[in-house]
Amino acid sequence: RRAGSHGGSPSAGSGQQSVTGVSAADDGNSYWQVRGRTAAVCQRGTPVRCGQAIRLTHLGTGRNLHSHRFTSPLSGNQEVSAFGEAGEGDYLDDWTVVCSGMYWVRDDEVRFQHTSTDVFLSVTGEQYGRPINGQKEVHGMATSSQNNYWKVMEGIFMQPSEAFKAERYHAEL
Amino acid sequence: VLSDEEKRKQYDAYGEEGLKDGHQSSHGDIFSHFFGDFGFMFGGNPRQQDRNIPRGSDIIVDLEVTLEEVYSGNFVEVVRNKPVARQAPGKRKCNCRQEMRTTQLGPGRFQMTQEVVCDECPNVKLVNEERTLEVEIEPGVRDGMEYPFIGEGEPHVDGEPGDLRFRIKVLKHPVFERRGDDLYTNVTISLVEALTGFEMDISHLDGHKVHVARDKITKPGAKLWKKGEGLPNFDNNNIKGSLIITFDVEFPKEQLTPEQREGECSELPRAGKNLAQLIQGL
Repeated sequence: RRAGSHGGSPSAGSGQQSVTGVSAADDGNSYWQVRGRTAAVCQRGTPVRCGQAIRLTHLGTGRNLHSHRFTSPLSGNQEVSAFGEAGEGDYLDDWTVVCSGMYWVRDDEVRFQHTSTDVFLSVTGEQYGRPINGQKEVHGMATSSQNNYWKVMEGIFMQPSEAFKAERYHAEL
Repeated sequence: VLSDEEKRKQYDAYGEEGLKDGHQSSHGDIFSHFFGDFGFMFGGNPRQQDRNIPRGSDIIVDLEVTLEEVYSGNFVEVVRNKPVARQAPGKRKCNCRQEMRTTQLGPGRFQMTQEVVCDECPNVKLVNEERTLEVEIEPGVRDGMEYPFIGEGEPHVDGEPGDLRFRIKVLKHPVFERRGDDLYTNVTISLVEALTGFEMDISHLDGHKVHVARDKITKPGAKLWKKGEGLPNFDNNNIKGSLIITFDVEFPKEQLTPEQREGECSELPRAGKNLAQLIQGL
């Protein structure tokens, strides 16, 4: 399932823009930009460390992946929505990247833990009806399970900056 | 092929097949696809006007650049992983559309119904492929300018892929403020320097030093204009804007003691003597 957002709001829940899971690999609405946590400056090309907090900004609408203490409409877990304007929302947009090792390696499966409420970003299969038939609910779950794991697929990846490459080289010596 | 720009665009859009179909002699279809590629500053996309070839969506990515990169330029390596339509065994239905069908019910009686009609096409499947792209940050580039990569956007199984566009976003700089091709910066000098003059070097965006020397009184808020020390102009890199330095004077934080008041006044003539020596030295 790919997480996407379409700018619409479900009738239940907080009324914020919805985030859903879709199966299509060619859905242009599934791009999210990895950015530094709220109010942080993150240099282009810097690798993301495991345990670092980030924001995921939806490319089409400029809203951030967001969660708050609202119940999700289909599964009764914690609601995950898209919030903010032009990439700026609030600290509830921060998600901690949970992975093993030092950095988030592109082909690895990682988990996203909501920095403020500790729930994990998950999809467990509940489907919406009209007008977003077949799309799955994306929510936050307190318990860890195989439904929390996410992997990067299509995308645009910035190569590590020259400074980082030099650092890696020295470490390997 | 990859080094020749014109052929590279063709390869990017059509793969190796496209190169075989009349390359340099621009014939019909292929030429119209490049019409919008001459200069990437055009707002609209002329390609959308021709025929009704379905197109995948465009992807617009903000590319953050530093003022140092705007001054000296830079190359950014980007890896693009995207789903590509590849041939698969069998057939599939494609170009499905609604058509009106007229059926004769009897003499002079007709019925019109709407029918979904599809063509049969070779089957395709989406396969993830990766390629490295290089984005050039040209000196003098401005906020909002876009660098497009034709065909690197979202695929469309029945048509062409959309484009990938990098939109420049210039980050705020801690020392310099950009206004057009000019750079603005603030420098704080001491009260003595404001009265008697000073010399200093300012480090520019590429590390070179801009020498500033004053031998007159400098009032708070005074501006010094340094021509040619701004940013290069995007259209002509040989022309540079100006660097405008605004001076701020730092006054003593505490009140002067009576002894200092006496001392301050008597120090000024001495400062005057040093000034004369300075001018002679120059």
